[in-house]
Amino acid sequence: MESNLVGYALQDLGILIEASLVFYLAWTGRWKGQGAVAFYLSSLVVGQVTRACFLHEYGWKSLRYYYAYWSTDFLLVMSAFGIVCLFFRRACWREEKMWRLIRLFLVWLLVLVAAISGVFLSLNRHDFFTYFLVVFNQKLYFGCLVLNTLLYLMLHYMNSADDQLELLVCGVGIQFAGPTAALALVHLTNGGRFAKWLAYQTIPLCTFGMLLLWAYVIVYVPKSAGGFGPRNVPLPAVPPELSKL
Amino acid sequence: MITATFVLILSAALFFFYIQVACQKILRRQFDREYFQSIVAANHLEFPSLRKSLEVFGMPSDYSRLRMMLKCDFLALTYLVKNSVNVNQRYSNEERLLILYCRWQFLSLAARHLLKLGEEPVTLRLASVLQYFANVVGQRVNTVQFGNWTATDYLFYL
Repeated sequence: MESNLVGYALQDLGILIEASLVFYLAWTGRWKGQGAVAFYLSSLVVGQVTRACFLHEYGWKSLRYYYAYWSTDFLLVMSAFGIVCLFFRRACWREEKMWRLIRLFLVWLLVLVAAISGVFLSLNRHDFFTYFLVVFNQKLYFGCLVLNTLLYLMLHYMNSADDQLELLVCGVGIQFAGPTAALALVHLTNGGRFAKWLAYQTIPLCTFGMLLLWAYVIVYVPKSAGGFGPRNVPLPAVPPELSKL
Repeated sequence: MITATFVLILSAALFFFYIQVACQKILRRQFDREYFQSIVAANHLEFPSLRKSLEVFGMPSDYSRLRMMLKCDFLALTYLVKNSVNVNQRYSNEERLLILYCRWQFLSLAARHLLKLGEEPVTLRLASVLQYFANVVGQRVNTVQFGNWTATDYLFYL
């Protein structure tokens, strides 16, 4: 119970920070420059507040809370996928050709995950929530973690000048990797007590970590040019006719 | 079972990787000059000489002394970050993150020593965090005028 209380306290603090960050973005007019961040934070607030309302109203053993939980989980996973897509777009906003390829790959990945989850549904047609949504959410969440890592590697490989984006991607990485590891441990230990306790602590802590990092990025790190391109662009060569002057 | 193990190992590794990268990115912040030198001189901190000796002579054999030096510098600097020219007397978000990172690196230092993996990379990482803290303190002290006092005088009476 005590460990749950810590988890709930962290979760509530997380909602507060999310709402404050959204408010800060709106208040300072940075909403436009940080559209992806605002979008993800808003969906986190909506998802968590909906869950909290259902939990308060019906209790955690009720069927309504179960449906609300998995529906909001679907919303959050789709938002996670959305923010990774938007970060990819921001990373290659100067490279239309590359973006077209990446967009195709992202759509293909989404369809693949849906198809794999569809196989699970076809085996057990009676329960859409358990056999489609849960599997779909799990697989897409892990897919987002892999995509985020690919994005980070891409930024690193192309020597991107967008420091803000790199830190935002790190924040998303913390948010995705921690819960994925914790849930994999729960699965491995067949729902062991310690693993469950660890998951209860890790999930809100990771969200909290991401929010702190994002708060730092939004408040302190200036938005640089962005897109691909070396940090120190060499000066263009002086035309011969000018060099004679 | 195999998939879950793979997911567990990969995501745990990525989790620590992202934390490390975030901390390294914060540490890359450029200061307009080397503020840390006055703080090092005023407080007799040892991390710059330790880093220099690492680069010239390699890893020192006395692990317990190395750990103690780093720990003392860490305690002194975290105290200064919190209390010197800081009206709120609270750490900022990135300072908290870096303190956590430092503690993690101290654990990693102990683990690497036990496993005999070589402490050099962790020591260098710790030195860079300590330098960042010293720069932060130096910059703050530098922005405030204390009559004819220098940064060293101010820190002496703190």
